[in-house]
Amino acid sequence: MGVREILVSKSFKVLLLFAAISISAWTSMPGEPETGPYQFNYPKNFGNRINTPDNNPTTKQGVYLGRLLFYETKLSANNKLSCAGCHQQEKAFTDGKAFSTGVDNVPTSRNSMSLANLLWARKLFWDGRAASLEEQAAVPLTSPHEMGQSLRESASKLSSSNTYRGLFKMTFGDDNITGQRICMAISQFERTLISCNSRYDRYLAHEYTPTKEELNGMNLFMNSPYPQLERRGANCSQCHGGAKTYLELFHNNGLDSIPKDAGIEAITGLTGDCGRFKVPTLRNIALTAPYMHDGRFKTLAGVLDHYSEHVKESPSLSTFLRNESNDVDGKTLNLRPEEKRDIIAFLNMLTDSAFVTNPQFAAPDKLSAR
Amino acid sequence: MKKQAFALLAFIALLINPYTAQLYAQGKEATVRVSGEVTTPIELKAADLQQFSQTDVKRKDRDGNDHTYTGVILADILQKAGATIGKDLTKENLAKYVLVEASDGYQIVFGLAELDKGFTDRLIILATKIDGKPLAPSDGPFRVIVQDEKKPARCIRQVTAIKVQFAK
Repeated sequence: MGVREILVSKSFKVLLLFAAISISAWTSMPGEPETGPYQFNYPKNFGNRINTPDNNPTTKQGVYLGRLLFYETKLSANNKLSCAGCHQQEKAFTDGKAFSTGVDNVPTSRNSMSLANLLWARKLFWDGRAASLEEQAAVPLTSPHEMGQSLRESASKLSSSNTYRGLFKMTFGDDNITGQRICMAISQFERTLISCNSRYDRYLAHEYTPTKEELNGMNLFMNSPYPQLERRGANCSQCHGGAKTYLELFHNNGLDSIPKDAGIEAITGLTGDCGRFKVPTLRNIALTAPYMHDGRFKTLAGVLDHYSEHVKESPSLSTFLRNESNDVDGKTLNLRPEEKRDIIAFLNMLTDSAFVTNPQFAAPDKLSAR
Repeated sequence: MKKQAFALLAFIALLINPYTAQLYAQGKEATVRVSGEVTTPIELKAADLQQFSQTDVKRKDRDGNDHTYTGVILADILQKAGATIGKDLTKENLAKYVLVEASDGYQIVFGLAELDKGFTDRLIILATKIDGKPLAPSDGPFRVIVQDEKKPARCIRQVTAIKVQFAK
């Protein structure tokens, strides 16, 4: 090998090294997030009664940061759990378990809730005790049975990252990382989780023709039973109606005569609130088993059987579930097997595949925030 | 001795008094909060409502039968809280609405003027009784009854809050 060749070889190696460093620098730096107000896109029939606090306007950089934080395991005491542990996108942001296990391996007391169309939610949790996502987010982050780490500790851990300091500065005006700001950014990301592209949405937009089963299921879902007029119904839309299939209501749906979990009564002390829980969104309901606040039903068929035949009487039972029947003088809905099947066909129309595969909601590149 | 026996009897009577028993069974007592654009926010219990003048309104229920509801005219409650009802219901105050909330999260609104007898003779009451008896737990203890309204959807049950607000 001559001197010239050695030099060329050396410069080639230097070039290679330089290229390698450049590429590694590029992959370890976050793509510069876009900045400016975030524009929510949703169908007109969802209405504009959205819930964004004045002190936390949604921005593109805030959503970018919030998404990183949503998937950030440093926010848990054992550095293994993130929000996404119990809110997995492919399961419409649930975890498929009746109760979740957090950093201490003690099961949570209630079922992990689906995250979709939270932009419109004004009361969070199964008992509605949080009035904003910001308030809600602090609870699972710090609860000993969930992520189990104080907000102060979380803020301190993130503060060692230049990337995070930069993103907090872009979002909040300075690089001070606080627990409150962590919750604010996560909330901004959660507000973008809009599900509006199911077959039902396309049906409402006159872009999809339902099958015979879906259509029959839809009619049963929407109608109250009226046996005197031979109108059959399952009365679901009383509590799950509207284009979003979400109404912000809280009911005792007859799971137990004497509930183990008192629900809202534990907060208000009012017996009328006994066994009362949030009526959850039915968006992507086929993906969010098991069902109810305690995950007692493994399948939608089990849920339909409950509403059709097994509603338990109690003083706080929702009035919409009392003495509603498809039989004259009947006490229960008494849906026929084929009617239950059709209602489940309709419920499957609420699955939004674009939502559960939307790359904007997925885990960001792991390298991006290091 | 006689006195002591009497005291004991009175004590036992108090214990088994159906009203006391009912209160005990019901846990905390339900209330209605009146707030928003009012001078004096108030929180009313069933007994407080009895201090107001009582009005009857007849309405057909879902069962097709007429029922007589007894309660307090909503405007009287709002006046007590200092809302701009009556002679004050002019100009920008006509842009106010009343948001009524139920314990299950259901909400409905009335324009403030819909409740004012200077504007309408239609009676809208916060009822506590049906046919002379307390409302059923699933309806009460407080339910709005709107006279002659065709749909029952604004006859909101289990009322917990009444808020007067300006339309923005």
